[in-house]
Amino acid sequence: METNTQRVEEFKQEVASMHLSAPVDASERTWLLVGIGLAVAGIVFIVFGWYGASGEAEVAKQVPYIISGAVVGLGFVMAGCALFLRYSLGRYLRFWLVRDLYEQRAQTDRIIEALHATGRGREEF
Amino acid sequence: MSSHEGVDHDVPLLELRGVRAAYGRIEVLHGVDLAVPEGAVVALLGPNGAGKTTTLNVCAGLMEPTQGSVYLAGRRINGAAPDQLARLGVCTIPEGRGVFPNLTVRENLSMMTFSGRSLPEVEAVAYERFPRLAERRSQLAGTMSGGEQQMLAMARGLATDPALLLLDELSMGLAPLIVEELYAIVAQIAATGVSILVVEQFARTVLGVADYAAIMASGRIVQVGTPADLEAELSSAYLGG
Ligand SMILES: Nc1ncnc2c1ncn2[C@@H]1O[C@H](COP(=O)(O)OP(=O)(O)OP(=O)(O)O)[C@@H](O)[C@H]1O
Ligand SMILES: [Mg+2]
Repeated sequence: METNTQRVEEFKQEVASMHLSAPVDASERTWLLVGIGLAVAGIVFIVFGWYGASGEAEVAKQVPYIISGAVVGLGFVMAGCALFLRYSLGRYLRFWLVRDLYEQRAQTDRIIEALHATGRGREEF
Repeated sequence: MSSHEGVDHDVPLLELRGVRAAYGRIEVLHGVDLAVPEGAVVALLGPNGAGKTTTLNVCAGLMEPTQGSVYLAGRRINGAAPDQLARLGVCTIPEGRGVFPNLTVRENLSMMTFSGRSLPEVEAVAYERFPRLAERRSQLAGTMSGGEQQMLAMARGLATDPALLLLDELSMGLAPLIVEELYAIVAQIAATGVSILVVEQFARTVLGVADYAAIMASGRIVQVGTPADLEAELSSAYLGG
């Protein structure tokens, strides 16, 4: 193989034009926090809605409280929980996958070792 | 690429400046400065736990520095994802080789077709450089000798057409003759213009192919120089030759 300066130039150019985004890990944590925040805000809305509605004798005046409190609040809680589940489970499942891979490798190593023990293994250098 | 003619060749291909990195709250790199000039082989030496692997992980984008900067060809790339860097041509061959032991040589190589090359092309490159792998293409990687597994790991790396190669403890657990053979190949790869950062605990063979060497201890670079500069130090110091 001859010296490949073209490859190096290409590399430099690609590095220069590379798009740097926030690391997945950081954006994931942000979304997780947004989810928790939304859910908490939703609960606050519901409590205020309930508090407001309970202070009004007329049904017509209770409606705005129900809308902004119960409906918006419930929406927030649901969206927040969805975000929380998505970003906490994603993380968990990834750990699980890595663990599974790791254990599979360890298992293979044990099988190979057992093969060696029966004298059917490789010859060493 | 003619627009790059007259480019400043003083800019290292890879450079770390004041890099600090931590696992959780425990900081293990306390301000590392290191440069790999374009086309050079740099050896990073140091005892167990010095932070060599951590340094490579930072270069590969597997860890983000808590402070300091990583530059590739002059561009600050803190926070770049490891797969992004791998696609550009930053290739890591990890400690313990990272081949799939329960796949055959051929299947291991076929994993590298993500880079856009077809399997026959990848195989052709691999077997040209490592004829021994050709004989063993149907053998399970885990049943090969350590040296052959290291060859497979290198072949996989080369299949991605790297511009920067990060090698972690090539010699681990291998007989001196095999280590020499592997380093002869590293020298060949370097001769094609690939820049290489290679980590080792024991210095002797790697200093033969390195252009520069750095000694690391407890998360800091304690000395940098040419192999000749460092050889005298090393034979008397903690590395024990
Ligand atoms: N995943 C981890 N979590 C916590 N601490 C770690 C982790 N990996 C490494 N360390 C610690 O960081 C320090 C540097 O480790 P590193 O693996 O970089 O050393 P090294 O120079 O590569 O050593 P070796 O020659 O044994 O491979 C060590 O003290 C180690 O215990
Ligand atoms: Mg290490």
